[in-house]
Amino acid sequence: MSLVLPIPIIQFLQAATIMGAAPGISGVIARVEARLQGRAGPRVLQPYYDLAKLFRKEALAPQGASWVFLAAPLAAMTCYLTVPLLIPVLTTFGLPLGYMGDILGGGFILSLASFVVAMAALETGSPYAQMGASRAKTFGAITEPVVLFVVFVVALITGTDLPYALAATVRSSAGQIVRPAHLLAAAALFMVILYETGRIPVETHTGTNEFGMIEEARPFEHSGPYFALLKWGSAMKQLILYTILLNVFVAPWGLAATASAVAVALAIVALLAKATGLGIVVAVIDNSFAKLRLFKITEFAAAAFLLAVLGVFTLYLGGG
Amino acid sequence: MAAVAAPSVFSGGANVVAVGVLLAEFGMFRQALLRDQVRLYAAQSALISVLAVIVAAARHLPELYVLAGLSAALKVVIVPILLRRLLRGTGRDSGEHGWTDIAGSGALSLASTVLLAIAVAAFGFFSVGALAIRSPVLPVTALAISVSVALVAFVLMIIRRDVASQAIGFFSLENAISLTALVVAAGLPFILEVAFLFDLLVVVVVFGLLIRVHHGRAESLSTADLTSLRG
Repeated sequence: MSLVLPIPIIQFLQAATIMGAAPGISGVIARVEARLQGRAGPRVLQPYYDLAKLFRKEALAPQGASWVFLAAPLAAMTCYLTVPLLIPVLTTFGLPLGYMGDILGGGFILSLASFVVAMAALETGSPYAQMGASRAKTFGAITEPVVLFVVFVVALITGTDLPYALAATVRSSAGQIVRPAHLLAAAALFMVILYETGRIPVETHTGTNEFGMIEEARPFEHSGPYFALLKWGSAMKQLILYTILLNVFVAPWGLAATASAVAVALAIVALLAKATGLGIVVAVIDNSFAKLRLFKITEFAAAAFLLAVLGVFTLYLGGG
Repeated sequence: MAAVAAPSVFSGGANVVAVGVLLAEFGMFRQALLRDQVRLYAAQSALISVLAVIVAAARHLPELYVLAGLSAALKVVIVPILLRRLLRGTGRDSGEHGWTDIAGSGALSLASTVLLAIAVAAFGFFSVGALAIRSPVLPVTALAISVSVALVAFVLMIIRRDVASQAIGFFSLENAISLTALVVAAGLPFILEVAFLFDLLVVVVVFGLLIRVHHGRAESLSTADLTSLRG
């Protein structure tokens, strides 16, 4: 069976895999976390049922909210569907639409999505949503440079800033894995992922904890299908960031080297397995550490910044 | 822009251990308890011993094994025990509490201190890069990291306001110097390397005396009292 998939189908599968599997990864993390706490936990497919329920509900908007409030979930979802086209999700070779933007463009589109959601939250006038939006953008002032420096490390190591090139470089030799710049950039990116997906030590992902909420507070005022799109979008952001960390830095193996259907199917399975593994690591971290006080989150972000900057410095002398 | 070539596995591993030493130095900014600072110092010394063993194995310098064992015994075991005994009786209620006291707050907040230390470490990195020193034993990055550790140890001593943290900053400065010696002069006669270690013992005695004297006069470990006028 040597069925070869046409390239547009593979491109479509990239976005479709992220879109379809994202709530499942959230469900796995919730279930593993509950199990580690000794509870039975929700079923793994619970987020899909939640999304189906929310799509059936009525949508309300606060008085005085304009079209920005209603357009933001759609704009964010569009961004989260665009980024999987730019990063190595399923294949080791670059796909045609993948040259629309490099890894810097992918990071830019992700922060654009975060920005429009924060805009919509600020527009509502609700105190919790505004507080969450302002906090998210304030700490973003430290974490966005970390992402930039991680991109610089990628660019310095490979000479381009296409994420496919770094994945190929990491696969090429063992010396590439133990070099300090690579380990530092991966660690810095992992800390940024903990911040962007709203996990311990930055905020508690489960339950409502108003004084500590940063990312979780922004969709407070949305309801119905718009809320469903926001929840789905943040689950997709989580899986996209996991994919960048896994397929570019940590474990770029299991990607399809040819366009055959079997290789692509195996790549999908490998991606989901790796993302589940990383989700289990995040669940263990959730249960092992306490949430940081709000004003200590700057220390966490400063530590991530330190790791990323050291990654760039060690490369400058040619030994990193 | 040309790609930066990958180092060999030995270079990469050695650089990772050296970066670990630098990260331990940065970690000392974060630690609030004196006990944790001393543990971090012990971890940093252990990393340097590990690096000495790696260099001894890869570059065939058997004296470095003995040096690594001696410095591990001294810096990882003996100095922390000595510090614990020195700090006994300096806590608020006397007894063991001096060991678990929270270190006096620094002059700057932690995030600002880390940014300042990053700037200082950058200066260390790029100034060593401009010197074009090549060592046959370890890559240049390890030398740059050791100079950065020394500079960040100075920042630690300046920012922290209590005597015990300043003492630990000085000890980690000695760690940085021994890392520099490992990179530049790994083939030094054994007796000179041991001389560095005895220098550390002298420093421990002097700082211990300073801590006891200061605590005896000011009833606390903070040096903020020293800036006020007498009478």
